[in-house]
Amino acid sequence: MSYKIPMGPYHPALEEPYKLDMICEGETVIDAKLHVGFNFRGIEHLAETRNHIQVIALMERVCGICSNIHTLTLCRAMEGLTGLTPPPRAQYIRVIMAELERLHSHVLWAGIAAKLMGFKTMFMTCFEIREKVMDILAAISGNRVNYSMNRIGGVNRDITDPQSILKMVEALEGEMAKTVIPIFTTSRTARSRCAGIGVLTNEKAVAMGIVGPVARASGVPQDLRKDAPYAAYAEMEFDVPVQPDGDVRARLLVRALEIMESCKILRQALAKLPPGEIHTEGEKFAFITGTSTARVEAPRGEVMYSVSWKEGSRNPARVHVRTPTFAVMPAIRWMVQGARLADTPLIQASIDPCYSCTDR
Amino acid sequence: MISLESISEKLGITEPWIEKGGVHWLTLGATNVRALAKTMNEIHARFITITAYQLPKEEGFRLEYHWDLNGRLLGFSFQLASKSIESIYDLCEAADWIEREIHEEYALDFTGREYEPLLLRQGETPGVNLRDVVAAS
Repeated sequence: MSYKIPMGPYHPALEEPYKLDMICEGETVIDAKLHVGFNFRGIEHLAETRNHIQVIALMERVCGICSNIHTLTLCRAMEGLTGLTPPPRAQYIRVIMAELERLHSHVLWAGIAAKLMGFKTMFMTCFEIREKVMDILAAISGNRVNYSMNRIGGVNRDITDPQSILKMVEALEGEMAKTVIPIFTTSRTARSRCAGIGVLTNEKAVAMGIVGPVARASGVPQDLRKDAPYAAYAEMEFDVPVQPDGDVRARLLVRALEIMESCKILRQALAKLPPGEIHTEGEKFAFITGTSTARVEAPRGEVMYSVSWKEGSRNPARVHVRTPTFAVMPAIRWMVQGARLADTPLIQASIDPCYSCTDR
Repeated sequence: MISLESISEKLGITEPWIEKGGVHWLTLGATNVRALAKTMNEIHARFITITAYQLPKEEGFRLEYHWDLNGRLLGFSFQLASKSIESIYDLCEAADWIEREIHEEYALDFTGREYEPLLLRQGETPGVNLRDVVAAS
């Protein structure tokens, strides 16, 4: 006999509003339905009431983890409508900020995954590492969450001490290679909790248009930093980690390896940081009538902004945001089918969902 | 890598692609959205999203469909004569949530599909134009 278990709207793993109604037979999940939108904020509509400066501050608040990525994508779209091109130093700073954000996002997720697996010590280790990244972000921008770094035509703040960031990158790489990755890859407990759990096949990932680490963990080698490079990514050498298995362990490995690749990118960007201005200085600009679209590889995958403007208008006519979790979250239904009930919190957390992004 | 021209050929369109605002646009003429979705499936393009625009006065709505093809962003625009358009959900599973969201935000109907539990307005009437609701309040 089947029965329904509603999980949520308070997520068991991530303390965010979301509901999963699971149809179970015994301990096995047969099917599931997802409900989101509990915190729908109408940000896209609100954006139409903000000018070109205010809208950046507003869209920075779409997400509490990848706030920088949202302003980067928005500013790139608005640059397409104004004809402004950020100077080379600004492009490098954008890469540095984006990779630091990816680091703190992935390490945060690794900590939460460890906690869900029962590795409380690893949770503490990951959060200690993340704190170092947050300190660097705060040292650069003055803020821990909303960095206010991006503007149309460049960035607001310079990186004056690249060496201090390099030291953090080295410490992070060492800790990841010495502690986190070996435990995630070799621990019997981690393997038994993650291997073969919450599988999303390659075929399903392709059919559902899945993006980011979840896609790459299902064998889809897709990363906008390689496929459609922006900022200074075309000048960086790095690999895109791909795993074929599509299970929780594959998602864990992809993100762990991406941390190492982010460190590699940061080393290059900090070493090659070109001199010069950090934004287009004193250049007057005006919006042309039209729509501009920009995409960026956020920690969770592709973010896309379409921004429409009418010449002479103070505010955008339309801002549409497609966030990565919005594309990935429907796959949870397929990941939990056939899973043990006890594994479902970890499976749901394995996509590193952002409900704030999804609800907008 | 598949050329953009070969996509036009598959769709039977002679108009050139226009690169504008970071997107490769193709004017579809009489081609409907389902034929487009089938072609996108054939060339293994990845569906990204649909952007809905409410046009001024009585001009109705415009929907812009986006696919990714090996890093190239493809865009196709549809002007809606009525408040409905055929759903591509059965051809393209990735379109499910965005069709539901547009239905709930703009009251547009994606024909040929059922709307499952509400996405944004749980417990309330689905398919209302939120802009009109806000304006009226």
